[in-house]
Amino acid sequence: MSTVQRINFEPFSDILATQRRDFVLGDKTLADPMNAVALVDGEWMVINNSYQIERATSIVGANGAVPAVAQTSYVLFAERGRTDVRAMGVPKMPLLFMGPFEGDTRIFDSTQSAATDGAPITYVGQPLQVATITIGTRKYTGLVGRTATGTTAIVGRVTRLPSNNSGKLRFVRASSI
Amino acid sequence: MSMSGRMLNELFAQKLSSADGKEKIAEYGGSYIRDRLREVSFARKIIPPEQVTRADCQRSVNHDTLVKIVDVEPQSKALTMSFRGQPSARFIRGPKAEVAFFTISSEMFQKTEQELLAYEMPITKIIEENSVKDIQEIEDREFITHCDAACQALQTEANGGVSTALNQSNIALGAVVEFSVIKGELARNAAANDATVRPIQRPDIVNLFKTLDGNRLRCERLLMTEPDWDDILQWTLEDFGDRVQSETAVDGYKYNTVLGRPYVRTIKTDILRPGNVYAFTRPEFFGKFYVLNNTKFYIDKIANTISFQSWEDIAMSIINIAAVRKLELYSADANPTTNADSLLANFIPRDEDQLGAVNNRVDAGLKFPQVSQF
Repeated sequence: MSTVQRINFEPFSDILATQRRDFVLGDKTLADPMNAVALVDGEWMVINNSYQIERATSIVGANGAVPAVAQTSYVLFAERGRTDVRAMGVPKMPLLFMGPFEGDTRIFDSTQSAATDGAPITYVGQPLQVATITIGTRKYTGLVGRTATGTTAIVGRVTRLPSNNSGKLRFVRASSI
Repeated sequence: MSMSGRMLNELFAQKLSSADGKEKIAEYGGSYIRDRLREVSFARKIIPPEQVTRADCQRSVNHDTLVKIVDVEPQSKALTMSFRGQPSARFIRGPKAEVAFFTISSEMFQKTEQELLAYEMPITKIIEENSVKDIQEIEDREFITHCDAACQALQTEANGGVSTALNQSNIALGAVVEFSVIKGELARNAAANDATVRPIQRPDIVNLFKTLDGNRLRCERLLMTEPDWDDILQWTLEDFGDRVQSETAVDGYKYNTVLGRPYVRTIKTDILRPGNVYAFTRPEFFGKFYVLNNTKFYIDKIANTISFQSWEDIAMSIINIAAVRKLELYSADANPTTNADSLLANFIPRDEDQLGAVNNRVDAGLKFPQVSQF
């Protein structure tokens, strides 16, 4: 079981090669650190029809829920309650939007099987998908394992298992398509 | 020294081939940018920015951001008493507010050296100037967004903590309290809740003053759009009096104050939308605008591709939300929470990516006469 800390996602590769893009938050209350369901770094977001971002899965639903449509998701690159985000009249949060990167995340559940194409995280090179997970006492949208064949979007592949990486999952994202 | 735009473009590309040249161009761009920014932002005329350094700011233990903590005046009062009595005590405490920093940046402009030579105009210089204006626009947009949020927060409080639509029909029913947002005389007497902007009347401005003047504050500055200002030129003899009416008919209104208060006008009607007039106190009662890093200019050339970008790090906060009030000259509801008439998009700043819409249609082939050279 992972644990959520102050820093939950860290790039392990050069971020100059990755385009970081700020998007308007669909629900600006999620930037408030006092919100019980505030966004944390390492959660996965999708772009909605208003070109704003929202969680890739509704964390109100059951664990294992996958995005409503098989679209790709983007990792959130801002810690909970950052003041530069909240200073803006219309809060925006940065995503690692385009380009490959490798990163360490705490927002994953290696045992949770997603509702579609779900599989525990067990091996290096395994595809990863996004689903609703529970860490501690609340839910997040994080990484879970995926079967080798399936229809859900692959958002990355395991490069280092948590058991060999101080409890963090290291993964590589090759494409945002 | 004057030079043609084409020469400037060539020099621009040549200078970027050396480290010394890059530095010189960046210095040139940087100094120019700072001058223009002070001139054109209306937010800076209402809250003059203060330069701060890292030493003035506080860090967060949770993430790598900076805030500046501002003290707010503590409460105190006096009381009458007898010779034998003693005053009530106050364990003193002053509120404190955090003002957070964020970045406003231009786009990253890119062009190849060869294509740069295809321009007669100094396109890089123009973009430098435009990027300053773009940054200034976003500053103003942030400012207006904060001002409206402050007005609506106080308006909600005055309506018992409930966001209540402020439109002509609710005013007629007596269903809403006008406290920090008021409607103009013509808007409140309109036949329907609509987005039509009515001409500003002299009593509208006086009523706006009263929203501040009646709360132990004083209106010291007005902010309005040029179209709303133009309606002031339509004031009649009864409003202006004989002398000012005569002057205005010939020279326009030439005074720095209206009804005794200074004003700021803006042509940025996609940020401050026509029909919205704001009143402010002096900055020391109102809020803070800090500049951590003045506009920086980055430029680089990799192979034949030139890239340049400018940005600034600022903080802007309305700490005393009672120090700004709003006059609405349209009859529909402009409360973002209620949006009772579904006309909100007419009254709030346009989205960032919609600002500065292109007016000309040259790229669409619309120019007259339509002549093309082959």
